[in-house]
Amino acid sequence: MERFTDEALVLSCVDYGEADRLVTLFTRAHGRLTAFAAGARKSKRRFAGALEAGTWLKAQLVERRGDTLRLDGVDVLRSYHHLREELPRIARALYSLELCRELLRDHEPHEALFDALRGYLELLEERQAGPTSLLKFELDALQHTGFRPRFAPCALCGGPTGARPLFDPEHGGVVCEGCAPRVPRGVPVSASLVDALARLQAGERTPLPAELRARARQLLNTFIAHHLGRRLKSVDFMEQVGTD
Amino acid sequence: MTPDALNRLVAQLAKLPGIGEKTAQRLAFHVLRSPPDFAKGLAAALTEVVDKVRLCPRCFSLHDGPADTRCGFCTDARRDDKVLCVVENISDQLALERTKEFKGRYHVLHGVLSPLEGVGPDQLRIRELLLRLEDSPIEELIVATNPDVEGEATALYLTKLLKPLGLRVTRLAQGIPMGGDLEYADQATLARALSARREL
Ligand SMILES: [Zn+2]
Ligand SMILES: [Zn+2]
Repeated sequence: MERFTDEALVLSCVDYGEADRLVTLFTRAHGRLTAFAAGARKSKRRFAGALEAGTWLKAQLVERRGDTLRLDGVDVLRSYHHLREELPRIARALYSLELCRELLRDHEPHEALFDALRGYLELLEERQAGPTSLLKFELDALQHTGFRPRFAPCALCGGPTGARPLFDPEHGGVVCEGCAPRVPRGVPVSASLVDALARLQAGERTPLPAELRARARQLLNTFIAHHLGRRLKSVDFMEQVGTD
Repeated sequence: MTPDALNRLVAQLAKLPGIGEKTAQRLAFHVLRSPPDFAKGLAAALTEVVDKVRLCPRCFSLHDGPADTRCGFCTDARRDDKVLCVVENISDQLALERTKEFKGRYHVLHGVLSPLEGVGPDQLRIRELLLRLEDSPIEELIVATNPDVEGEATALYLTKLLKPLGLRVTRLAQGIPMGGDLEYADQATLARALSARREL
């Protein structure tokens, strides 16, 4: 039996049986972990409101050989409850959490991504994150986990992507017209979108117009679904509540 | 070798939530050891509940009257038609009912929006709620979903749909529980309690 404490963000939490909950955490030093929170549904005191998606906390965990981790106690560092006051902010927060949950693997630490996610939730809480910030966060998250999409130069020949680029998640991103025959499943994508995403990825902080954002969303959905093998569930929610 | 009939019973019981193979076996042996009337009564109750209990076509609470009729909550003339309380599930409705404070009508959503589980508005009884509002004199709608992320998302989503219809939409107050302890309250609860404070 080994006890340890780690900083964590709650990625998701599901009820387990009558009284318990299973919580998926993004811990800073241990990566994604799923822990059993005994009595979390019934005892209001021990985990009081702490196991809500997005909460930043200090988790006391107990590891036993061949058994699910046990969450022994928590100290909430910040609950980000103000972001629950508006639907678009809830939708974006849950989307960012689901994206991390799916990109991460158990016991593989990603400290830079942890800090990026916490920073993004902080911005949402303070009403400083619009839709472009979410796109930027996604690009960062993909980069931190080794899935960085390539927007420039051409993912195949390394030359300029030109005026009629193609997008193909299988080959890692955007390819030039000259390489088109090598990517039979590539789809045409506008040069202006490729340019906007390349700038965003490089750290330029200019809000994108709605029309460009909508196309960026489609492109990232395709890219992420290709690498994860499925579409993220909270994408539908963003559409249902009419936000991006 | 265990008789097939016993295996079948164990297999069925093990499908119940929170019941594992071991517990299912124990329950099955208990049924076997009990007087035959017990098993017959249990079987009859199980059959009756699926045959007779259905959802009320108006509020989607439980109802054991004839098909196409409405439940007691919907037909009781002493209840107020102008106030409608929207709840996540039937247990929440019963909890509110036990307070004896609420005299309006109910609407049971049968779930909450859970973006991470892929539960969207179409899986809840939201369309039925909107239809119902078209032909009823409802003035106030109380959203009584839980104060967690999913419950809040559901409340905000309903508000977005219903406010434009000119309805008064209210939300159950949130704060420190009776007999509670400020020191142990979480940040969110304490912050909500503070912003919803009242004059004495
Ligand atoms: Zn090329
Ligand atoms: Zn009814």
